[in-house]
Amino acid sequence: MAYLELRDITKRFPGVLANDHVDLTVEKGEIHALVGENGAGKTTLMRILYGLEQPDEGEIRLGGKRVTIDSPAAAIRLGIGMVHQHFQLIPSMTVLENVVLGAEPGKLGMTDRAAAVAKVQEIAAGLGISLPWEARVADLSLGPQQRVETLKALYRHANILIFDEPTTVLTAQEADQLFGVLRKLANDGATIIIITHKLHEVISISSRITVMRRGKVAGVLETANSSPQKIARLMVGEDVGHLERSGRSQPGDEVLSLSNLSALDKRGAPALRGLTLRVCRGEIVGVAGVEGNGQSEMVQAIAGLIPVTGGTIRIAGHDAAGASTRLRREWGLSLIPGDRNAEGVSKLSTIMDNMACTEYYRPPLSRSGVLDEGAMQRRARSLIERFSVKAPSPYTKLGTLSGGNVQKIVVGRELAAAPQVLIAAYPSRGVDVRSTELIHSKLLELRAGGQGVLLISEDLGEILSICDRVLVLYEGRIVGEVPTEQADIYWLGELMIGGKPATNPPGAVIGTAQPTLPKTASTKS
Amino acid sequence: MAITDTPIQKPTSSLYDRLGPLGQSLAPFVLALVVGALVLTVTGKDALSTYTTIFQQAFLGVTNLADTLLFSTPLILTGVATVVAFRAGVFNVGVEGSLYLGAFMAAWVGFTWTGLPGFVVLPLAFILAGLVGALWAWVPAALKAYLQVDEVVTTLMLNYIAIFFTSFLVNGPFLAPGTANSMSPLVSSQAEVPHFMTSSQFNWSFVFAIALTLGLWWMLRRSTLGYAIRMVGDNARFAAASGISVARTIIYSMLLSGMVGGFAGAAQILGVNGRFIDNFSPGYGFQGITVALLAADQPLVIIPAAIFFGALTNGGGLVQLFSNIPIDLINVLQGTVMLFATTRLTLKWFRGRKARLTA
Amino acid sequence: MFDSALILTLLSKTLEMSAPILLAAMAGAICRQAGIVNIGLEGMMLAGAFGGVLFSYLAHSAAVGILGAILCALVLGVIFALFVLSLRGNEIVSGLGLNLLAVGLAGYILPVLFNVQGAFSPLGLQGLPHWHIPVIEDIPVLGTLLSGYDPVVYISWLSVPLTWFFLYRTKPGTHLRAAGEAEEAAMSAGINARGLKWLAVLLGAALCALAGAQLSLSQVTLFNKQMTAGRGFIALAAFYFGEARPVPTAIAALVFGFFEALQFRLQAERGISPQLIQMLPYLAVVIALVAVAVRKRLRLNTKARAAQAAVGQEA
Repeated sequence: MAYLELRDITKRFPGVLANDHVDLTVEKGEIHALVGENGAGKTTLMRILYGLEQPDEGEIRLGGKRVTIDSPAAAIRLGIGMVHQHFQLIPSMTVLENVVLGAEPGKLGMTDRAAAVAKVQEIAAGLGISLPWEARVADLSLGPQQRVETLKALYRHANILIFDEPTTVLTAQEADQLFGVLRKLANDGATIIIITHKLHEVISISSRITVMRRGKVAGVLETANSSPQKIARLMVGEDVGHLERSGRSQPGDEVLSLSNLSALDKRGAPALRGLTLRVCRGEIVGVAGVEGNGQSEMVQAIAGLIPVTGGTIRIAGHDAAGASTRLRREWGLSLIPGDRNAEGVSKLSTIMDNMACTEYYRPPLSRSGVLDEGAMQRRARSLIERFSVKAPSPYTKLGTLSGGNVQKIVVGRELAAAPQVLIAAYPSRGVDVRSTELIHSKLLELRAGGQGVLLISEDLGEILSICDRVLVLYEGRIVGEVPTEQADIYWLGELMIGGKPATNPPGAVIGTAQPTLPKTASTKS
Repeated sequence: MAITDTPIQKPTSSLYDRLGPLGQSLAPFVLALVVGALVLTVTGKDALSTYTTIFQQAFLGVTNLADTLLFSTPLILTGVATVVAFRAGVFNVGVEGSLYLGAFMAAWVGFTWTGLPGFVVLPLAFILAGLVGALWAWVPAALKAYLQVDEVVTTLMLNYIAIFFTSFLVNGPFLAPGTANSMSPLVSSQAEVPHFMTSSQFNWSFVFAIALTLGLWWMLRRSTLGYAIRMVGDNARFAAASGISVARTIIYSMLLSGMVGGFAGAAQILGVNGRFIDNFSPGYGFQGITVALLAADQPLVIIPAAIFFGALTNGGGLVQLFSNIPIDLINVLQGTVMLFATTRLTLKWFRGRKARLTA
Repeated sequence: MFDSALILTLLSKTLEMSAPILLAAMAGAICRQAGIVNIGLEGMMLAGAFGGVLFSYLAHSAAVGILGAILCALVLGVIFALFVLSLRGNEIVSGLGLNLLAVGLAGYILPVLFNVQGAFSPLGLQGLPHWHIPVIEDIPVLGTLLSGYDPVVYISWLSVPLTWFFLYRTKPGTHLRAAGEAEEAAMSAGINARGLKWLAVLLGAALCALAGAQLSLSQVTLFNKQMTAGRGFIALAAFYFGEARPVPTAIAALVFGFFEALQFRLQAERGISPQLIQMLPYLAVVIALVAVAVRKRLRLNTKARAAQAAVGQEA
């Protein structure tokens, strides 16, 4: 009997079947990789195991006994610990406080600091890691923060450790360090589940692999008997790539150029560091990269939603410095935002209002400050038809539609503006296959019509199937570029995680050979 | 995540979901009346007969009805003022401040330019009151729009500043000669809003308030500014990404809000009090919040909601006289409405605010 | 213009009058640290003032009065927590509603149950004693400043270090801050965040009860429904000013208490308007909030320049 078993787990969210009768078995002392594309349901499954979500169906067995995990506290009692992708740390508290938080030693409601320090240092020493115990977590960069998270779990006597995409935020050395720690833990008898979508990590660290796709288990493999190709095929499935690009287009004039662009993220840390790229008419340029390397800041900077701290943006021949978002749109910029629920639509508003938002202020949708409801309605109707949106009427509130239909509305609106250049961020994320195909075909139509498209995606399959050129974004700058025909998944993957490939495919350009800044500057305040 | 095109599964429908939109906007009223009835019963009063008396005194008879509408007038105006801001996602709890400053401004015009005829002085007083109210609201609006200063605390604080400042004015420089009480001189008779009848102070301000409500409803629904306000209120990040200037929209909505707040003050002073009296408002601005909460999605609901509270105030006053039931019952009812107004029955877009405010 | 005796009285008056503000501000600070903006301080204080008078009168004992004050304020605390934490109501609206409910209930109950209009000051009502501390009492300046207050004033002084100790040195306090700063993170560490938020609200209610009782059993011995007179909002101002940290919050509360004492003095004087003095705490908060925002903006600008310089160096 397996040590840890998740049987027949099903979890539904409104409009989404996140886990569809999923089984997962993990042996004691094993490092088990849980892989799959974004949105395959890995994180949901692990949140269930950690008590953050309750399954609608199915059961969890630990050491042969059925267990109920209705809260993280219950999971901790069972010896389950989780290192979240988004760290669950209290920024204003110290490293030590964070590690022991919720399980402090000491009597009478008071923390025995000496005991806490001793205990934490003992665990840390066992793993060969060290941290500035009195520093505030907010002042640490992401690698040390992750070590705090790991210690936190171990401090709670976790013998089952879940790591949710632990390496996305780490530098290559930090990742190596982490893997060293994981192997040590497994040797000491801990059971480790690691969520990732990086194949080389899977191969190098795991003993078994469960591959998920669209909420289901696509396969379970022994790492020794698997190959990257095998895993990739299970991950991606057979149902993609029906689109045919009509050969290599002849790119025309430049419609979008970013040169030496820099910008800060929300917390004031540098997110873009001298980013340079151009998009020409008649081409789709793909930006590959792990999320969090400046993608959202790049999109926001192009749209004029955040200030740039340096560099220039040119949109359809205009220098965008100081231009409002509306003016940029009038020049021919369209935008499919990455987080469509936050930036692409208003769920509380009607379809009609959602359709009008970029152009409501001018004819035909309004005249001298008065909306033409008839015109707004006609526009919404025609869109609903052309994109076969499943919605009863233009007055339907958007919040009642499924993710695919919502995305069709975003894409429809942005294309209706007849853009010169379209920025499409993760356009197929959370969208079913048919809608994805529809969206891709629309992007290809734009390309054929002589417009430029900048496609941002972390799905290499998507990028390779429709882009003409692929750029890799890493730590706020472009680190490599290659024509799609010459693109090689592994070469791209290596660049995406900051690696330096030994050999380059023909036509490839390795980006700026500049020294790498630390990923997160100190956010000391 | 696998997203299917099947219709969205509704979360298990609660009793509340089954009420429908009308039931949902009525629910806080009904619950408040129930709580009120409970208070009455526990203290040995007959709830049913109390409510019946309130109803009769509030609605039966022309004078009674006129008084009810009179009491509801400031609430309609403060309700409109608050809704304009709420709709843009600005949690303006500072209408009370605009009301005080507008009220003083209107009184000042009325007792200073006594030589002007009514058709000049009345519009002038309202315009200047609206202007002062708008300027007052501009302060927290600009702080929010350009410096991201949370508007809840600033508007709340600015209320007290306005109340104490006007109090200073009528206790010092503008104290009516010959009175010891803190009030301004009387406005000229031309500056008073004409009354409809002699038996009640019911006056043209009510018509003005109704017209403003209709105007607001039209503005939100059909004008481009109203559209921008709605989009910013529903999802500011989306509005920004679509090219709407969120900062400017916030400021416009707050200027409108403050202006109407100033009107409310002018209407009360020139329609009822005839002079500025220190601390004259029993919290019209705060009652406007309650009205606005109930009417946020449907501006026209302002009118019945304000009349509901106007009726309680009117009927409650008489019940106090005749049945010895304290008018403070109204505060209990209103407090309860406020408590229930944003719970599970939350106007959807208020839910998001909680997170931000405590962040 | 002030002689030294007058200043001494003013300071002693300040210490007495800041007590309720101090207590309510600590209440607000604890709630704020737990992630809750408690606008209902005013109502909870009023409930405390009411309960204090009612129970002191019923039991002829000021001590029972204090307990009664706590009981009444806790009822409001439970209502507030129920609506804000369990029913997920908007905390601002719920707080304002709670204040209105408190005024309404007080104004309703007094005439109905006690046949009282206006001030409720029944026979047999026991006020709080004033403690004269032996030895210290006789030291000239110090005696006036430190001795002769009612117990709640001393408790209000103690409440500052105790709040600090609770928040920063005990496990529940630390957990409470964690729950307030990052609820999900706290919960994933196994902390009962919801329970601690309840605790914060109830603790706050109890502190407000003391504040209210000090008003109705010491500063005066009577109750009327306007007696809190916006002190809950001054307390709100104080903890916003002090960014919910106990010591700066206490300093703000003392300064606001000083304004209040000053304003009482000035009613006798001429020249300076007491209304303008009353305005100051609220003005101070607006200015403080603006200052904080401007500082944040400047910091961001500095970071932007630093980042730009770094990129420039690389290129």
